[in-house]
Amino acid sequence: MTQTAATTDMPDVAEYRAQARAWLAENLERRVGPRQRYEIDHYTPEVMAANRALQRKLYEGGYAGITWPKEYGGQGLTGDHEAAFLEEAEPYVLPDFGVLTGTTFHVCVPTMIAHGSPELLRRFVPKVLAGEALVCQFFSEPSSGSDLAGAQTRAVRDGDHWVLNGQKIWSTYAHLADYGFCLARTNWDVPKHRGLTWFIVPCDAKGVTIRPILQINETAEFCEDFFDDVIVPDEDRVGEVNQGWSVTQTLLVFERGAGRPDAAPEHLSPGPLAPDLVALAERRGVTTDPVVRQKLARAHTNDFVHKVLTARIGELGRLGRLNAGIAAYGKLFSGTYNPIRARIGVEIGGPAAMTWDPDDKDGAATSLAYLNGRIMSIAGGTNEMQRNGIGERALGLPREPSFDTTKPFNEVLRNARNWSGQI
Amino acid sequence: MELDLSSDQELLRDTAAKFIEATVPLTAVRALVDDPTGLPADYLRQAGELGWFALLVPEEHGGGSISGEGLRDAAIVAEERGRGLQPGPFVPMNAVAAALAASGSPQQQADVLPGLASGETVATWVLAGATGDWTPGAAVQAAADGDGFVLTGRATAVQDAGLAEWLLVTARSAEGLTQFLVPTATSGVSVAPRKSHDITQRFADVAFDGVRVDASALVGQPGGAADAVEQQLRIALVLNVTETVGAMDVLFEMTRQYAVDRVAFGRPIGSFQAVKHQLADMSLSLEAGKAIAAAATRAVQANDPAAGEIASMAKAWVGDTGIDIAQGCFQVFAGIGYTWEHDLHLFLRRITMNNLLFGQPDWHRERICTIHGL
Repeated sequence: MTQTAATTDMPDVAEYRAQARAWLAENLERRVGPRQRYEIDHYTPEVMAANRALQRKLYEGGYAGITWPKEYGGQGLTGDHEAAFLEEAEPYVLPDFGVLTGTTFHVCVPTMIAHGSPELLRRFVPKVLAGEALVCQFFSEPSSGSDLAGAQTRAVRDGDHWVLNGQKIWSTYAHLADYGFCLARTNWDVPKHRGLTWFIVPCDAKGVTIRPILQINETAEFCEDFFDDVIVPDEDRVGEVNQGWSVTQTLLVFERGAGRPDAAPEHLSPGPLAPDLVALAERRGVTTDPVVRQKLARAHTNDFVHKVLTARIGELGRLGRLNAGIAAYGKLFSGTYNPIRARIGVEIGGPAAMTWDPDDKDGAATSLAYLNGRIMSIAGGTNEMQRNGIGERALGLPREPSFDTTKPFNEVLRNARNWSGQI
Repeated sequence: MELDLSSDQELLRDTAAKFIEATVPLTAVRALVDDPTGLPADYLRQAGELGWFALLVPEEHGGGSISGEGLRDAAIVAEERGRGLQPGPFVPMNAVAAALAASGSPQQQADVLPGLASGETVATWVLAGATGDWTPGAAVQAAADGDGFVLTGRATAVQDAGLAEWLLVTARSAEGLTQFLVPTATSGVSVAPRKSHDITQRFADVAFDGVRVDASALVGQPGGAADAVEQQLRIALVLNVTETVGAMDVLFEMTRQYAVDRVAFGRPIGSFQAVKHQLADMSLSLEAGKAIAAAATRAVQANDPAAGEIASMAKAWVGDTGIDIAQGCFQVFAGIGYTWEHDLHLFLRRITMNNLLFGQPDWHRERICTIHGL
């Protein structure tokens, strides 16, 4: 949600940077060691509470929601101000809610700001900025993942509120979130894209049951969520009734990574040669093997190409030339090259890295990296969905014929069960 | 390649594109395939008037950049040249011009640079050894001989050696890497033109049979050329890669348009996911190629500490994906792409040959490991 710079009362970026530097030195703790990406077990109630307090400190200091509208508790500044702040904040400990940082601050709430009513946003967004409203994604369902518009969670209007019934799945970190951004069907008698509506659902609302799902990597990051007669007031609806698909379009652009502050392309550095993989090669004593060296340099090159591609997508965003198709490039890159990189780790590490001493607490690293290498080819939209997005939106290729976009959704569900390939 | 050009840079690009369209459009590239020089007689001088060879040359020697960042400007021209599969020694001429500007003697700078910058004098770079080894010094051995040197060896893939009046020779010697600027007409130098897979460019083998040169031919100090050679290589890599990406971009766009226009089984073939997904994967590689080519250009321009590594990454990425994209485009065009009359093979040939020049992807990956001290 980058605001266009207003001609008046917009602080000079250099001055803003100097102010931010002073405020950071005064208020935040310096970080020890590099910023880390943690697994779910790191986010204990104590850790979450500490990060919420830190978020509140940023909000009270005037450094939360830098590009979000002032009216909703943001600072109403430009992407350049935000980039300046983030550069200055680099040496400091910043709030970290794991996956919820992205789903809250980069996907769901920016979408809400684009489509929600001013009344809702004035009430809700300040709570988000103060660290009191972390938002997870109630998007996918057991019967609709890639086919997001095929959602079958039912919302029925009853006076000034709605009653939700159904099931969501793959909602990452839902058990740690305060709210879920929920897609529900509000009309079954119209084509599927025209009967959807978005709601903000409290995770602790009566009738909501959230269960973490055990994954192949033996952690439980994502959840399945059951809604049994959950009451949601109409004022927590985002966007118009049955117009949810236009909200979804905005959401998907954010989910592909648009709008996140990125390093400027001028400041990118390749860094050390794939340190995790080099460590594996050193352990096996194969750093002089030419085949291994090819693999190391290939992984390192792919890593850096990903960085420069991400920065280029960010630059396209700043130049106003981004659409959902172009935003999908970053996602498809991860989905394509993460499994390759994970495989290189296994090939270099060999059996000695894929078996380990039971007492070695880091022994599973290569195995875990291999399993986790699968995530980005599916999570948040499969590679195939990204290819459709790129093909149709970035390249202007015609769509496949569809059999479910003009008929009432009820009828589509009936017909699909009797599918013969004949139209 | 770069997303945000200044208006002067846009003018440079548009002028290059218009010149190419007016002088050597693809139809003319085709018409020149049997021509021994591969380009119209006045082409290099006209290109010189547009500043193509002056961008890395200081003003006092007849040069000048557009933006103050000569390599970024040159990369803009290289991309347009790739888009139009232009002939001629643009890459080696610029590398030689930069080398002479940086470490040529005052005499060399005065005698040769203004002509190079204007396109009236042609020079090329002798680098690859006879077996295609791009390790600097692989081609030629220099031995001190009185107050001069004797050069011996054979080089391959020397671009437009048949047109060149001057050769910049990168040689190994007892002192280390040493460079010489040698007239092609020197006794003992022989140029043997080769037929080439890439029918849009000309290459030759150059042999040095005990070629005696005096110390005035030295570019820089004996044994002191390693840094200069590295810088020439980086410049050549940036221009080679941006040229290739320009060619890939046009080939991909031809293919994308074909997938929209061509109808089979009652609908445009680009609507089939089997084709659409292939095009999406190709365009991912291409967009990433533009990003890494631009990153390499900026890094070499800025003399970034990682510039050599980033240039090698760009060459490795664009080299591998260029071949993949050319094959993928062929798959979409199918039979018509295998005909002489279709332009696809001209792009396939250029992309494939550029992949070989200045080191293949494997060579650069090994170089990346070495740069990291592995």
